[in-house]
Amino acid sequence: MPPASDLALLVPELWLAALGLVLLGVDLFVGEQNKRTVGWVAVGGLLLALVPTWGLAGAVHRPGTTVFFGSYAVDGFAVFFKFLAIIATTLVILASMDYFRASGDRQGSTQRFEGEFYTLLVFTGLGLVLMAASADLILVALSIEFVSLTSYVLAAYLKGNPKSNEAGLKYFLFGAAASAVMFYGFSLLYGLTGSTSLYVIAEKVATVPAPALTVSLALMLAGFGFKISMVPFHQWTPDVYEGAPTPVAAFLSVGSKAAGFAVLLRVVAVAIAPSGLDYVTLIAGLSAVSMFVGNLLALPQRNIKRMLAYSSISHAGFILIGVAAFGGAFGNTGLLIYLFAYMFFTLGAFFIAALIEARLGSDDIPDYAGLSQRAPGLAFLMALFMLSLTGIPPTAGFFAKFYIFAAAIERSPALLWLVAVGVVNSVISLYYYVNVIRTMYLLPPQDPARIQEPAVLRTALWVTGAATLLLGLYPQPLITFARAAALLLP
Amino acid sequence: MQVGLNHYLAVSALLFGLGLYGILTRRNAVAILMGIELMLNAANINLVAFNRYVAPGALAGHVFALIIITLAACEAAVGLALVLAVYRNLETIHVDEINVMKW
Amino acid sequence: MTAYLPIFIHLLLAVLLTAALLGAHALLGGRRPTVAKDEPYESGVWPIGSARERIPIRYYLIAMLFILFDIEAVFLYPWAVAFRDLGVVGLVEMLVFLGVLFVGFVYAWQRRALEWE
Repeated sequence: MPPASDLALLVPELWLAALGLVLLGVDLFVGEQNKRTVGWVAVGGLLLALVPTWGLAGAVHRPGTTVFFGSYAVDGFAVFFKFLAIIATTLVILASMDYFRASGDRQGSTQRFEGEFYTLLVFTGLGLVLMAASADLILVALSIEFVSLTSYVLAAYLKGNPKSNEAGLKYFLFGAAASAVMFYGFSLLYGLTGSTSLYVIAEKVATVPAPALTVSLALMLAGFGFKISMVPFHQWTPDVYEGAPTPVAAFLSVGSKAAGFAVLLRVVAVAIAPSGLDYVTLIAGLSAVSMFVGNLLALPQRNIKRMLAYSSISHAGFILIGVAAFGGAFGNTGLLIYLFAYMFFTLGAFFIAALIEARLGSDDIPDYAGLSQRAPGLAFLMALFMLSLTGIPPTAGFFAKFYIFAAAIERSPALLWLVAVGVVNSVISLYYYVNVIRTMYLLPPQDPARIQEPAVLRTALWVTGAATLLLGLYPQPLITFARAAALLLP
Repeated sequence: MQVGLNHYLAVSALLFGLGLYGILTRRNAVAILMGIELMLNAANINLVAFNRYVAPGALAGHVFALIIITLAACEAAVGLALVLAVYRNLETIHVDEINVMKW
Repeated sequence: MTAYLPIFIHLLLAVLLTAALLGAHALLGGRRPTVAKDEPYESGVWPIGSARERIPIRYYLIAMLFILFDIEAVFLYPWAVAFRDLGVVGLVEMLVFLGVLFVGFVYAWQRRALEWE
């Protein structure tokens, strides 16, 4: 039997699970017109979940700590992603509440099953937390699939909307196929080492023949690559982002990606790295291809959600630089910093897209013309997020890119070409990000009417905007925390 | 000659290949789902065979297989629900006809 | 390989015998179809309608919910086998598991997902 003290280390997870179940009950008792109540309960519960998570922050000093027979990690790395997942879920729920209300106002109808939406988001948040902490192949499989299943439903949430249907089905077919391939890879890794625990695999993996291990790693990368939307497993990204409700696209772009990177890093760094297999070259190659494909395909996009989807693919490439640089002194830290900063400015950009879509009923970038006159605050924030996505100082995006490039150079001179590719891609991305700013500030508006900003969504927007600036100007606390959390091995 | 680990691995590899072939060639969303189920079962055969021949001391492989069976059922339920929703709006479940969005 | 030779011969014989019997029937037997002989049940109850009728979509909805709740039994069997070893802790864990399922069931019920009409 696992000792009862193990449960004390699981309070955030238990709290989130209980919150999800309570929300189901609340949803049943709340009338059709007051579904926002469910959203508020979810937000309150999520914020309270930060308290026990904060209590676990001491775990950063105990890398390699696991509970339940070594299957579940409670190290600093896991705690870091708990914070990330909870914050992202909270912000997305805040944005969704006004998104549905504003869409409803425009179309003259209310969204059905709105309570279910918040419940699913909370459960997905729990799944992300579990993903980042899984230290056993069984638990990795279970948590990835948990996140996937709820995400499929969220993507197809607008039941009457053909685009949303298509997004859900495509996401499902790609995702289910990718997980099936990944499970096959897990079964091979289990067969080669005789264990499902990542830490036990690490001890035995050196004796495994390299070709077999390479096959297993390649199969597993299909599943992880799907979650982080890495080339060549990225094809679903644009269609799903365009068709899914915009807050869901934001959540997939931030939450699933971050947790996917957490799993990828834990599996590769803990279980595969001791074998001496040269995974760095493989990851570096995938990183470069992801950056190029994402950026070049983002150039011709007119639809803001598709543009952000391709931008999300290219950012997966940037973050993969951190995975390639893992062995160095800053690689892991760089990756954590990038993911944390990326969360704020990507969520912000998607939230503005959500607001514009809800108000104007359009996702096209040309419809952003004259936004600086119609909604000066929104235009300013959008410009900030776009600059941050490009990586221009003094934003969080600049700092994240700077740190991850430095980590790669410090890791090995052989990664210098990858940094060069990264810099070239940042310049390419400048074109399509700045195009949005140009449209908002220089082109005349088609309709001079001001755009109403709903209060709750505005709060979420200013939080993301403030964090984007703050992390760019004063990143020291984040660096300290990420450095402490970056240790994966005892 | 005894039936050994390699025989099981061969069957599972065959099943995996069949599933992958189904996914890549079928147009019907439900048929693709069936291909995915084949691939999941290939993984299950692997896990149980490895448990028997490589690590007979513990039950990790069996537990893993049970979990994957459950996941397959959940996946099928969600997948069929999505197919139903798509059929109601688009009146087709052929993936090459589901193309509202293009790039 | 020799251990499997008898099984192989058995399979071969089974296939050959079947082929021989069916072939002899096709070659030697007469073929005089009548309306009565073409009925699915020559001397039974008359079939009502076509067998290829479409099934109402509600069956699928119920079937999906059934799969979800039914598959959880795979966890109950191993637990039942190891019940004595797991003791009270195992019982509590299983009750928590069933409790979570029960919440889901109540939700589906209250959402009228189980109603036929």
